[in-house]
Amino acid sequence: MLGGKLCGYAGKILRVNLSKKKVAEEELKLELLRLYLGGTGYAARILWDELERGVDPLSPENKLIACTGPLTGTLAPCSGSIEFAFKSPLTGIFGQTRAGGGFGPRLKYAGYDFIVIEGASDKPVYLSVIDGSAEIRDASHLWGKTVHEATHMLIEEIGDPQASVACIGPGGERLIRYASIMVDYDRAAGRCGGGAVMGSKKLKAIVVNGDRGIEIAKPDEFYDAAREAISAVGRQRMGLGQFGTVGGLKGLNESGALPTKNFQTCYYEKAEKMSGEELARKYLLKRRACLACPIGCGRYVWVPAGPYITPPHEGAEYETVDMLGVQSMMGSLEPLIRADYLCNTYGIDTISAGNAIAFAIEAYERGLITDEDTGGLKLRWGDADTCLNLLEMIIERRGIGDLLAEGVKRAAEKIGRGAEDFACHGKGLEVPAHDTRGTSKSFAIQYAIGNPRGACHIEPLWAGMWDFSGSGLGLRELGLPWPPPSRFEEVGVRRGEACRLLWLYGELASILGICRFSMQGGEDEILTPARLSRLVSTLTGWELSPRDLLVISDRAYTLKRCFNVREGISRKDDKLPKRLMEPLATGPTKGQKVENLDAMLDEAYEALGWDKMTGKPKRDKLRELGLDDVAEVIWGT
Amino acid sequence: MPKTLVISPNKCTGCRICELACSYRHFRMINPARSRIRVVRLPHEPVDSPIYCIQCGLCISACPFGALSRDLKTGIVKVSFEKCTGCGMCVHVCPYGAASRDPESRKALICDLCDGDPECAKICPEGVLLYLDPDDAAAYKRIAFSRLQRKEVTPLKPDAR
Repeated sequence: MLGGKLCGYAGKILRVNLSKKKVAEEELKLELLRLYLGGTGYAARILWDELERGVDPLSPENKLIACTGPLTGTLAPCSGSIEFAFKSPLTGIFGQTRAGGGFGPRLKYAGYDFIVIEGASDKPVYLSVIDGSAEIRDASHLWGKTVHEATHMLIEEIGDPQASVACIGPGGERLIRYASIMVDYDRAAGRCGGGAVMGSKKLKAIVVNGDRGIEIAKPDEFYDAAREAISAVGRQRMGLGQFGTVGGLKGLNESGALPTKNFQTCYYEKAEKMSGEELARKYLLKRRACLACPIGCGRYVWVPAGPYITPPHEGAEYETVDMLGVQSMMGSLEPLIRADYLCNTYGIDTISAGNAIAFAIEAYERGLITDEDTGGLKLRWGDADTCLNLLEMIIERRGIGDLLAEGVKRAAEKIGRGAEDFACHGKGLEVPAHDTRGTSKSFAIQYAIGNPRGACHIEPLWAGMWDFSGSGLGLRELGLPWPPPSRFEEVGVRRGEACRLLWLYGELASILGICRFSMQGGEDEILTPARLSRLVSTLTGWELSPRDLLVISDRAYTLKRCFNVREGISRKDDKLPKRLMEPLATGPTKGQKVENLDAMLDEAYEALGWDKMTGKPKRDKLRELGLDDVAEVIWGT
Repeated sequence: MPKTLVISPNKCTGCRICELACSYRHFRMINPARSRIRVVRLPHEPVDSPIYCIQCGLCISACPFGALSRDLKTGIVKVSFEKCTGCGMCVHVCPYGAASRDPESRKALICDLCDGDPECAKICPEGVLLYLDPDDAAAYKRIAFSRLQRKEVTPLKPDAR
């Protein structure tokens, strides 16, 4: 605190009720900050307290919270994050989704750490939050516009080229269950359908900017810590910076870890043609970084001419290339870049969309959907134009696209006849481009329970860091089992303990407001717990050791699980789709399968302090974290 | 001999770490609205570029209150906080948009090269901002100037579909 003002925070929550057309300010609660620090931890507490069990995610009763953390928008490297927390219309459980760009920092500069959006408007509106004052404005002229069009129009309307816009495209307006919230044109908060929540509230966009500053408790010490951290994380420029996230694609393929053909195999013959090197040679205009990022993994690309023409845009991340391009076996980058651009500007998640397309091709191949369903479209592997057509059908909710827009879980339930076996999702969230068999067995438990939002590779942390990449992440002194085992071993190798530590460490990213790419790599090139502790302590003036930070993230992580338990999630839901347990068909990891999921899960529940029968966090565990009131709700008094 | 701040073209990723560091150095807080260096990102073109004061001094003679002067030893343009009234004339005449007014005090924000030790050049992770001897700096100035004559590439507007 400096003169009574919180350091590291704007200090305020903006509460927006769209039904009543009212905006109001609240102070951040100091006692909650000391327990949760900020970000999705603080937001999880708000959602736990304010959402009733069983709320329809697309109803006015759901709330959408835009969250920043104490590090957001400071000189801490990769602090350009914005996270959104809500109940997900895709999974029906706790949803959170993150984007880079500059929205999070500019929200803080505008004077707010969080925006809590409640209710629903009867006609399209957008929210303007500039220099400490907020206003709900008419957006009827923006409704129906693409993300690129709407963002452009809003920047002109506000008259501030530096303002940051988070908006939805037609995907969110049409309530596609995996619609994204798009930030600064092309940065996607893609997962869990936050865009559909905005669409259901008729909220087209939020525009933020401001001239407010962030106070620092110990400016000189913080600056020293930040400079050291920037130079450490900046070492990743050589890899992630040069070729982007897709730079890893070739190596993953060579390791038999590149999900292909709806997860039938983890090896793709034409991987070279979809590689980061190929992208840099032919389509890369420049590298772009989010605010405060010394890595710059962003790919500013275009296809200048031909049938797959696109304007310059930020795109072609690894996830997108694999899920939209490799899974359907497109075989070249141009249609992929076009597909990615369409997903961005129409505002849908590239991972879920790619997964749904691959699922549809396999369902067609097996005769579970027919020409009648597809409107005559003949779905085949390796047919890029058909994939683009199918993508447009999803975007427009036309024909079979209407069903696929509901996500693969709902689509498989509707189709039936065994479609569930190859519908690759965890709790309804489409599985991304890392494999339970080819990449690391840690992904088996990561997809089953690791992320409260469902099957996710990156949150809380990319689980292969330990055994696949062999990094200690600065967690060895905090108990990370070392050395790691082979990535294919399942039980008796302390995988549960290791994953728990990775998850709690990774959870700090969404609490503190930083990008996970600053936390994944060798110990000399990431924000280890020690570096994070130094940054947070000097910024806020609160002495927080690495251990203190892990207790805070344990509290947030456990609370999110409890949110899901309250919604009815139990051990029976902690499972993998059948496809992700079956032997891989080809490549270096041919034959790899998941055999002991239950035993692996037992180890993980044990490590996490969750009850093995029910999957609920144990009462003692909750008390230890100071969550007594939560324990009463999920265990009874 | 004084040194000169120049940029190495095409390297900026638009991370704005220079803006954040500038506000820390002068105000001991993080606030890019109070930065003397500003990164411009063009939304539909491959351009990210730091816009900074080249110390041309056009503002000096335009100031009606004599608040601006050049330090003859270092060549740096100095703002007298006492004399500056916040009239905005320097912002008006600056051709590059490099001068602005502090949102808090409303007085002139003009780069002072951190008194000969610019923080932005020290922290820029991409090596875009360089603080060089004048002769070395001149080579970079010539490159920047020559870029005004390059062939214009017309970018596609949104939405291409």
